[in-house]
Amino acid sequence: MSQAAISFGEDLVRALSRSLGEPGWLTSSRLDALKYFTDLPPETNPLYTKYASTFGFPVDQFRMTAAKSAVDFRSFFSGFLTGKESDIILQGNETQVHSELREELASKGVELMSFHDALDKEEAKVRDLVERRNVKSSGDRFAAFVNAFFNGGVFVRVPRGVALDKPLRRMLLLDSPRTPVVEQNFVIAEEESRLVFLEELYSKGESVPSLVASNLELVAKPGSHVDFSSIQLLDGQSTHISNRAVDIHSDARATVSSLSLGAAVSRSRMNFLLNGRGSLAEGFEIFFTDAKQRYDFETNLIHNSPDSTGSTQARGVLKGESQSIFKGMIKIVRAAKNSRSYLAHHAMLLERTAKSDAVPSLEIDTNEVRATHSASVAQIDDEQLFYLMARGLPLDESKKMVVLGFFEPVLSRVPIEQTREGARFMIEGKWHGEKRRLVDRETLLAETGEITPEVKESEDIFERHYKYR
Amino acid sequence: MKLEIVDLHASVEGKEILKGVNLTIGQGETHALMGPNGSGKSTLAYTLMGHPKYQVTSGKVLIDGESITGLAPDKRVRKGLFLAFQYPVSVQGVSMFSFLRAAYNNSRPAGSEPPTIFEFREVVADKLKMLSMDESFLNRYLNEGFSGGEKKRAEILQMALMEPKFAVLDETDSGLDIDALRIVAEGINKVSGPQTGALLITHYQRILKYVKPQFVHVMYQGRIIESGGEDLSRLLEEKGYTWIKGYQEEQAPVQAP
Ligand SMILES: Nc1ncnc2c1ncn2[C@@H]1O[C@H](COP(=O)(O)OP(=O)(O)O)[C@@H](O)[C@H]1O
Ligand SMILES: [Mg+2]
Repeated sequence: MSQAAISFGEDLVRALSRSLGEPGWLTSSRLDALKYFTDLPPETNPLYTKYASTFGFPVDQFRMTAAKSAVDFRSFFSGFLTGKESDIILQGNETQVHSELREELASKGVELMSFHDALDKEEAKVRDLVERRNVKSSGDRFAAFVNAFFNGGVFVRVPRGVALDKPLRRMLLLDSPRTPVVEQNFVIAEEESRLVFLEELYSKGESVPSLVASNLELVAKPGSHVDFSSIQLLDGQSTHISNRAVDIHSDARATVSSLSLGAAVSRSRMNFLLNGRGSLAEGFEIFFTDAKQRYDFETNLIHNSPDSTGSTQARGVLKGESQSIFKGMIKIVRAAKNSRSYLAHHAMLLERTAKSDAVPSLEIDTNEVRATHSASVAQIDDEQLFYLMARGLPLDESKKMVVLGFFEPVLSRVPIEQTREGARFMIEGKWHGEKRRLVDRETLLAETGEITPEVKESEDIFERHYKYR
Repeated sequence: MKLEIVDLHASVEGKEILKGVNLTIGQGETHALMGPNGSGKSTLAYTLMGHPKYQVTSGKVLIDGESITGLAPDKRVRKGLFLAFQYPVSVQGVSMFSFLRAAYNNSRPAGSEPPTIFEFREVVADKLKMLSMDESFLNRYLNEGFSGGEKKRAEILQMALMEPKFAVLDETDSGLDIDALRIVAEGINKVSGPQTGALLITHYQRILKYVKPQFVHVMYQGRIIESGGEDLSRLLEEKGYTWIKGYQEEQAPVQAP
């Protein structure tokens, strides 16, 4: 086993696969992915190439080692856990450290483990899943990167008919990692199951330049209901890359809520694949950037089946010299009759130096559908600020109120209460220059004294957009 | 205690709108400011409150002898000034409840303990009742989707909570039907007690049936061209604003073409 950090090539693939004790088919699969990583340009879609240089992702500058560092999870995670957690999988840097699952869930067959533990336990099943991955190496250089070089990942599965009463969680914590964290994640909800999953990515203070790259395969089997949320608060030295595919079967429902606050650069790709009749997908993309942060989002709603419903709503606020781009596509194939789809991106700029772009597009091959998008980018409104100041709020507080309010129309629709309340708490923290974490309601109450009652607009986004046609 | 406006000149985007306004409002007094559209009434209101777009080029605004012209709007609130907007702004995502609470807390004397969420609910419930407003108001976004009447009532609700020393009410009567007008006017009367000085900007006389001013001023082309008692407003109503224009020309010697 090579201890030395080496560059991204065949030697590294072989060393990684060997040190992880993988079977030959997986080594070959990595080598296939490597070809795409080597050959593909960073951006393959001609619609988006003009933005590629601003958002160049310097994975090649990193070096990787196949060796694993040992981490004592108790001391490593001290301060990040309340002790009340159950059903959680913890990871420090690239090393899998700890998984806790209540016995009652384990006995029902719920699985919450590392990818490689799952591979040891049920190789045939995992092989099948790997071979049918929807995050394809051929589609994206960075997806290929992960498929070739992953050194970890989680495997989550809820069996048929099992409904979880509490979220399953995973937390990744970085502390000056010696090697990139590259993950192959699977989250699978079997037929008629119910799963809420919370993912959190944090750093311990500012550390060395680091890379977190992950692919996620999220599968919602027929009739299942998955609410997935992901919170990214990595430190300002980090590069974050994520590729997600959400495969939604008939009458299944999947929501993905993302809150992005951290990292120097972040690139996330999300494909909602509405593969079954009556499937439903909802994406919520919430971000708040400052300084020189660069965020690059791509979300696609791909309707492959009739009667499917998809929506993605992105909202972001940009401070300082930060920049974002949002690329979104609605694709409805011929067979996906009677589908409806909605894509929205709204950004607020707090300074003239901040910048945000949106590139929405539609590709629709049938008439019997309703599809639309809406996008806006605007400076914070001076008249709103004056109004609030005329009610006694100082300038900074007025801005904060307008900014926090701006997120609400999307944030208030996030289906997971803990994510909703936690996101408000964390966004406000970022406003004040504090790093806050997702906390439970009790801790939130203890820290803020109260939870402001929510306003729920019972507005149907599809109604709103079609009323006037 | 008084609000003094002394030879106030103000511009918007380099264009002078207020051309020397003089007006003094004492504690407990109600002044009506009338005048045709575009004469500069709202400009005066915004300038008093410190809107950044409106530049004071000369003159002074004093509260209790202290100049406020250099102060940010929130600091003017602390001095006891309030403006009910002609066109209240809506803010998405900000609940009426949290907005009112922030306004309430920020207009209390410095150092006073803010009420808890429950105490504040009681405070606001009283004021809502006074203005015949439903509590469900609190769960809506700030002015978002409000009818004209709801917006105006909400402005008076804010005034009731903030208890200003001097209130400028910019066309709070416009766009209201007769019932709403009565409720709003009664609200103004209840909120502005003997401690409050009020400047009621209005285009029409009808609100003056309910809110009785001691003084009436007429503004035209950025100046107050006439001041008087309540009878002036009646005169204005009878003769219309064209009378003002004629009046103005009478006062100024006609230039030879
Ligand atoms: N923000 C502004 N930008 C440009 N012009 C303005 C602005 N506000 C007011 N004005 C101009 O100032 C004049 C007075 O307007 P305003 O004060 O609104 O009058 P009133 O309230 O008496 O109807 C008008 O000619 C108007 O066009
Ligand atoms: Mg006006």
